[in-house]
Amino acid sequence: MGSSNGESRRSSWWRMEKEMEKGKVVVEKVRGKSTVTRSFSKYPLKFIIPRKVGPSETDAVWIYSLTYGGGIVSGDSISVEFTIGDGCTAVLTTQASTKVYKSSGSKCSEQVLEARIGSGALFAVIPDPVTCFSTARYFQKQVFRVVSDSSLVIVDWFTSGRHESGEKWDFELYRSTNHIFSEGNQPVFLDTVLLEQSSPANIAERMHDYQVIAMVIIYGPKLKLVQDQVQENVKRMMSQQLHIPSTSLGHHAKTNSDNCLTRPAFIASCSVFGPKGIGVVVRIASTTTESVYRFLQHQLAGMQPLVGVPPYH
Amino acid sequence: MEPDLVETDKKRKRNVPIDSTLQWSQWQLLDSILPTGGFAHSFGLEAAIQARLVSGPDDLKTYIIQLLDNTGSLLLPFVYSTTLNPTLDNWQNLNGILDATLTNEVGRKASVSQGSSLMRVAAAAFTEVPSLKSMRDVSAGSGVVSFHHAPVFGLICGLVGMDSGTSQRAYMYVTMRDVISAATRLNLVGPLGASVLQHQIASVAEAMSKKWMDRPLEDACQTAPLLDTLQGCHGYLFSRLFCS
Repeated sequence: MGSSNGESRRSSWWRMEKEMEKGKVVVEKVRGKSTVTRSFSKYPLKFIIPRKVGPSETDAVWIYSLTYGGGIVSGDSISVEFTIGDGCTAVLTTQASTKVYKSSGSKCSEQVLEARIGSGALFAVIPDPVTCFSTARYFQKQVFRVVSDSSLVIVDWFTSGRHESGEKWDFELYRSTNHIFSEGNQPVFLDTVLLEQSSPANIAERMHDYQVIAMVIIYGPKLKLVQDQVQENVKRMMSQQLHIPSTSLGHHAKTNSDNCLTRPAFIASCSVFGPKGIGVVVRIASTTTESVYRFLQHQLAGMQPLVGVPPYH
Repeated sequence: MEPDLVETDKKRKRNVPIDSTLQWSQWQLLDSILPTGGFAHSFGLEAAIQARLVSGPDDLKTYIIQLLDNTGSLLLPFVYSTTLNPTLDNWQNLNGILDATLTNEVGRKASVSQGSSLMRVAAAAFTEVPSLKSMRDVSAGSGVVSFHHAPVFGLICGLVGMDSGTSQRAYMYVTMRDVISAATRLNLVGPLGASVLQHQIASVAEAMSKKWMDRPLEDACQTAPLLDTLQGCHGYLFSRLFCS
């Protein structure tokens, strides 16, 4: 973060100095087309890069990230660097939700992504959600370095766990960091979400009936239309959901159970951020994973001309 | 007087800061009568009520506790840093970092509104600290007109002579004070009930202050994503009492 003090090393959370061999993906223009010119991944990570996704007129390369065994095991540390060259379009996605298995001892699982996005380039990170199993401890950090006309779409989301099997918010620790820096190391977006069991109450209590938390960052000149549309859609959708409750409040209030049926099943809000409102961030809390998939499908449909196929279809 | 009573009183006097003038400044900074516009913000409570997540005193207590936890985790590092190092450079640096950290537009605007008011009042009132006015003027002159609340709060505390433990607790206190005040105006609790609630929560607030205080900036994080989502909805409320 370029902080004025050298305290980052003393911080108990960051182990970035730790030597880990990083996976690497480089996307450059080759004969005018976005092409993966270098791809290296270290176990348990694997990249699958189909020859073409979407119509040939669309210049975009899709990269699927998989983990052997279908999930991240306690103690795994996955680190990747992406370089998206000038004018290129790259999409990073998954084939299924990332499962984070239970923690053994107090070991954590971690994933780190660092990306450099060039001038006029677009990097879309549109994975399935992270699902932390009971007792899992998971860290994730994504750092994006952009220039003035880079574009980004980042979907970062997680569920309460295997909620169909009754595991709801049963993991020990979840921490996800997303940073965007512009030229000269200028911080544009600095966000870390931390959920720790029993701190203050257990996570399930704090989340009420919501099972999914999602964040969508839509940033840069190529996404202006998508940004405007999302803001309008969310405002319209939420304005209908929010109203002054008809029951009288204060010490004559009815008990909680009378009202909980009428809570919105899906809550979303949009915020503009960055210089000249170059970015929009959407925050979501939902009672079902399906409704978030539908929301993402709908709101990101406008990206089809840029990436070839509509995300989350 | 009983020897026990005299002993208790002696112990208390030993704990009084050497500079008693500081106490008067502390009280003034924490008094809700200080015109910083805190009364205009509900910290997402109004949106939470309209989303039916808070409907009575029990929900309110849970809400306030989560809010305080999030205030500690996200904002105390900024208060800590400027109290410890109340210089122009550090303050401006932290102001910029917090601007990128408060990704919630509603929360960001509220922070700037309160921070700017607080800076204005402090520069005018605490004239024994001339650097307050000069820092404010320099910043305004260089085009930085948005002063975020937490760094300004820490800065003023630091310049006035407060220790960082007190300033961080004080920041938690003013947040608790303002959200409870908002709750009374939103008819969730009456003034008497509010006072009872505030005192009940005090020990939780102290525990949270201890948990989150004295941390480096890199540790700043949010711990209540549901509340963040809700606060972001404030602009969609058709009819509202508060700015945020």
